[in-house]
Amino acid sequence: MTYLFAGLALMLAGGLAPLLALHRPRLADRIYLVLLGGGAGLAGLPAVAVLVNRTWADVSFASGVPLGPWSFGIDRLSAVFLLLVLGVGVATAVYGAGYLREHRSRREVAVAHLLFAFLIVALACVVTARATLSLLVAWEAMALSAFVLVMFDGERDEVRHAGLVYFATTHAGTLVISVMFLCWHAATGEWTFDGFMRHGAVAPAMMPILLLLGLVGFGLKAGMVPLHFWLPGAHAAAPSHVSAIMSGLVIKTGIYGLLRMTMLLGQPPAWWGWLLLTLGTASGVLGVLWALSQHDLKRLLAYHSVENIGIILMGAGVGALGMAYDAPLVAALGMAGALLHTVNHAVFKSLLFLGAGAVVEATGTRDLEHAGGLARRMPLTATLFTIGSVAIVGLPPLNGFVSEWMVFRALAGAGLAGTTLRLAVFGVAALALIGALALACFTKVEGALFFGRARSAGAGQAREVGPLLLGPMVGLALVCAFIGLLPGIAVSVALEAGSLVAGAGASAPAADVMRSAGLISGAALALVVAIGVAVVIRRRLLSGRALERAPTWACANDLPVSRGQYTASSFAAPVLAVFGPVSGVRLDRSAGVLHTHPGDAVFDRVLRPAWRKVSGLAGLIRGLQHGRLHIYLLYSVGTVIALLVYLAVWRP
Amino acid sequence: MTTIVLRLGATLLMLGVAPAVLGLVTRTRALLTGRRGAPVLQGYADLAKLLRKGAVFSEVTTPAFQVSALIYLVTTVVAAGLVPFDGRAALTGFPGDLLLFAGLLAAGRYALVVAALDTGSSFEGMGASREVMLGSLVEPALFLCLMVPMLASGQLSLAGMLGSELARVWTLEAPALVMSGVCLFVLLIAESGRVPIDDPATHLELTMIHEVMVLDHGGLDLGLIQYAGAVKFTMLATLLLGVVEPRGAMAPGVALAAGIAGLALVAMAVGVVEAVMGRLRLNRVPQLLVATAMLATVAVILVLH
Repeated sequence: MTYLFAGLALMLAGGLAPLLALHRPRLADRIYLVLLGGGAGLAGLPAVAVLVNRTWADVSFASGVPLGPWSFGIDRLSAVFLLLVLGVGVATAVYGAGYLREHRSRREVAVAHLLFAFLIVALACVVTARATLSLLVAWEAMALSAFVLVMFDGERDEVRHAGLVYFATTHAGTLVISVMFLCWHAATGEWTFDGFMRHGAVAPAMMPILLLLGLVGFGLKAGMVPLHFWLPGAHAAAPSHVSAIMSGLVIKTGIYGLLRMTMLLGQPPAWWGWLLLTLGTASGVLGVLWALSQHDLKRLLAYHSVENIGIILMGAGVGALGMAYDAPLVAALGMAGALLHTVNHAVFKSLLFLGAGAVVEATGTRDLEHAGGLARRMPLTATLFTIGSVAIVGLPPLNGFVSEWMVFRALAGAGLAGTTLRLAVFGVAALALIGALALACFTKVEGALFFGRARSAGAGQAREVGPLLLGPMVGLALVCAFIGLLPGIAVSVALEAGSLVAGAGASAPAADVMRSAGLISGAALALVVAIGVAVVIRRRLLSGRALERAPTWACANDLPVSRGQYTASSFAAPVLAVFGPVSGVRLDRSAGVLHTHPGDAVFDRVLRPAWRKVSGLAGLIRGLQHGRLHIYLLYSVGTVIALLVYLAVWRP
Repeated sequence: MTTIVLRLGATLLMLGVAPAVLGLVTRTRALLTGRRGAPVLQGYADLAKLLRKGAVFSEVTTPAFQVSALIYLVTTVVAAGLVPFDGRAALTGFPGDLLLFAGLLAAGRYALVVAALDTGSSFEGMGASREVMLGSLVEPALFLCLMVPMLASGQLSLAGMLGSELARVWTLEAPALVMSGVCLFVLLIAESGRVPIDDPATHLELTMIHEVMVLDHGGLDLGLIQYAGAVKFTMLATLLLGVVEPRGAMAPGVALAAGIAGLALVAMAVGVVEAVMGRLRLNRVPQLLVATAMLATVAVILVLH
């Protein structure tokens, strides 16, 4: 544990460097990155030790404040999340240093770097906290630093608005979580996680209260439907490396919270599993549909986070069902699938956001309809983004497939159970629908960004970005490929942590899962090798033949420049039309034009009208507030008199 | 060792007969519409011709276009390793390999769609857009269909769920399995781009789906795409056969022969549908596919009961 705190302190010191050496920005950036990387390496050591030795580490500081001691500790669940936070955190920080390089002598940039380091440290504390107080403090530190980072471009209206919604939402979430812990304390008399664990099951009447409060509090952070409304705005408004860490890590703390809560509470009631599975399915399907209707690259990616949180919740839901119906393998597989998909999503989503940042940097626009043809101008970014896309769609041979397979395996395994549990098998169809829609969405993104002809002057003059931006993307893409091609290690770590959450010692059936992981690995490697061989053979075959370059075939007409291409909106329109009003998009279609107007079903149709009603009602009592002191004094006197009258008349 | 060789042989046989299966579909359609049509084995000759040709590439395309046909071919061939052609065992398999099968097909589709968008042509963009729309309806329905044999047999691998265990319980679960077979037949037509959903023989680009998506592929690449399409048709037809005609209890040779005979029947049935039906309007296609998914859902409920 000493290593953890030393590492985190080093990272904070690194964060201070740009601020202290404002006049030597080059040097400051180097110190920042070196200290951040070194600190992360040091802090990651105990997590690796926990995973390798299958032990756990713990430290506790007594404190004078109420709400119990400050405890931190690393078990297998924390270790997985800690490594994820440090790895993705450092990758996005390196990118951030490159992204903000041109403005690095500005004070705001130095402050942003400090806050970024602070955010990573806060995230590390959230996932290692072992007591109520330390968790809540780290949680707030994380939320606040993320808020300030989102507001980096605060002079823009869009950013201020998104920041405000995020700020209000995250505090509502913290409030709910605090109430949950207070209730938990009332039920058990404990403040630490070990205490909760020792106490075991709480009273049956208390269980639903804790579960529902946790679901709302952690669900708000995770961005599950219908509590996702803050997410697309905040993720799109932030600078790209901040979007990456928000989508990759910050929302994952909500998942961590849900998993930790499930682990501490023990066997949940069955309705809880069904609720999670239903919410997960809704998040998955609606998230990807809403993503499909977006033309703003970063909003689109943000909605995909809602989708993937849905897949994760489906895994956690079927895992909880496995716990409730005493099916240990289903429980362990579901939780492990949720956990691995959390890791995978953090990796490929931050890769995609970093790629999106590179595209925005190069073209100056987030609008898909104004990009095009970038594969020739930015081949490396295009390749890396493609790796992220294939991974997020859940296709072999990359990592997204492995975790979706685990969730699928849990759902299918649930179908063979003798109990009501088998109804969970319908989740499989939802998973397939989500996958197919994700394919539609990411082929749209790829086509609009990288292929065809440039649709704007900005896209026509785009340049490949620099090594500080490409390096982190290469690292993240390698992780995608590693987990996809050699899933053995990741699957076994996820299974162990998953069984820890599920409270099951599923060891014998795990061998079967590991064998499957081996075969998946074989198929993935075979795929890669066979494609490589096929490329060589094709080149040999074609080498002696007549090959020509000609304009794209357009029925013997010349294509009328780049505007004649299919647009991203037209590409998505048939799919959206099939799903009709659920897709939350307004189509304007006439002979000459197709416009799609995406809106957020929850935010625009529920939250805004509700807020208008509330503020309308509040307007009724606005007359009371006018700023005149003597009238306010009159209010106080009136209140005191009213209280006296109340006491005199109604109290004996 | 011998079992591996036998299984490899069965898989290779499936890869070998694929063009003939599609040839049978076209021949049946031609005969029923009063033409003589091309011989059943014409597909091999076409393939040999295309594979010898040079190619014309669009000026707009990138290397993504060059590898697209190869990715489509390789993913389809690797997926063939999971399909039990003799109705008893596949080359390889594991519990939950259904997702790998669907994932490989989806990866092939991804490559073709991206290649279509790579050309910057509005025709191909339109075809690609329709293809992903169909895919988003076919994929959930396919999973629902295959849930039926999976739940009936209690086996989670593709070869297992269509194997001897299914043959044992087949009569018990016959209604659900037949419903699943009917749905698979519709999905087979949708996935391989045949009438009434798509028409490979149409000549107008605006009405095509699959064919217009590969409009700019020519020569070697077009040959590979056509071959992979034939393999995909044969694989899906084999899965359909596995559901309605369980061969797990038969002797190996008999099972193989019954499989080939069944495959011919499925191909002829597709040909008959092509001959007697016209294409559906594109906006009716989703209705057909959603209805198929609903029927498959009912089949799953029946088997869960």
